[in-house]
Amino acid sequence: MNWNSVIVQAVFWSAATILFYLAGKRLHRRRPGWWTSPLMATPLLLIGLALALHETYGAYIRQTHWLVALLGPATVAFAVPIWEQRALIRRHWPVLTAGMLAGSGTAMASAWGLARLLGLSGTLQLSLLPRSISTPFAMTVSGEIGGVPDLTAVFVIVTGICGAALGEAILKILPLRSAMARGALFGMGAHGAGVAKAHGIGSEEGAIAGLVMVLVGLVNVLAAPLLARLL
Amino acid sequence: MTFRKTLLGGRRTIRSSRILQIGLVLAFWLAGEALARGTGLPVPGGILGLALVLTLLASGRLSHLSLRRGANWFLAEMLLFFIPAVLAVLDHREFLGLLGVKVLAVILVGTVLVMSVTALVVEFSIRLCGGLKVDSHELE
Repeated sequence: MNWNSVIVQAVFWSAATILFYLAGKRLHRRRPGWWTSPLMATPLLLIGLALALHETYGAYIRQTHWLVALLGPATVAFAVPIWEQRALIRRHWPVLTAGMLAGSGTAMASAWGLARLLGLSGTLQLSLLPRSISTPFAMTVSGEIGGVPDLTAVFVIVTGICGAALGEAILKILPLRSAMARGALFGMGAHGAGVAKAHGIGSEEGAIAGLVMVLVGLVNVLAAPLLARLL
Repeated sequence: MTFRKTLLGGRRTIRSSRILQIGLVLAFWLAGEALARGTGLPVPGGILGLALVLTLLASGRLSHLSLRRGANWFLAEMLLFFIPAVLAVLDHREFLGLLGVKVLAVILVGTVLVMSVTALVVEFSIRLCGGLKVDSHELE
């Protein structure tokens, strides 16, 4: 069998990615902790394997791009939680809108301001802008405003890991009385990882966090063409 | 009569089958992509597919039970779909040094700001909109 044939390579790297992902999930169930999270462990294992086999990113992503393409149907899948939470949206839309606008504005302004302050390049600034929203949306926005979507995916993961940990500390400091505020904090600040954390705090917090994550992604994607013109 | 039976049977099959529902989500995605290409709208196909599903759900032509298990599978395994993109760091070794520390600082400080501002705005909007009426108990 020819190791370098396209099919063998595609099967090998796709299988390695899926296996490391499943192994990471299993490990995390047995020993919960941020270092075993598939958010952290799976990419690190894959990077190790790619380095050992001298694989470049370009060659790797050619074989596994079909997995990234599945973010498209994952976007469609968000219709179900939006539909199921429609009562919550109808009742609280003014508060949710205020929170999402303030959160998105702060996310973009802080990324842009801090990146400029530290002298990061223009492309990096743009790739950092959408890091607070869920991946399929973030990568779309990044491409649209002139960032590098793949780098944005990295920043989104780092944001998720940091946000899930930071959120708990912030909860202890801020005098938040409503479950909505606690949920919005996680859904806006740390997307998927934050939603998981919010579910651990309470079911209302979890539902709000999930809803805020989905809606904020949607709002940002729809605003992206406008944003691209401004930047 | 037989047609109706087949239709009902088909509905029962799709409501209990995750694989069929995953296929249905894929079909809506492809429809969204086709729609995006056909109309030339500056909106990604996935978003159009989402809008299409929401429209069908709202009109009552589609029950969320026919889609729920498939959609939840996509959402639960979403991490797998963007892990390949994370290997982009292989092409960006510059992040291993000072640049990486700077990027991390932007993300850390930014995330603290985003979380605090969002939570405080939501908290004060609730108090403004009639205060403690919308307390945590109401949602339970």
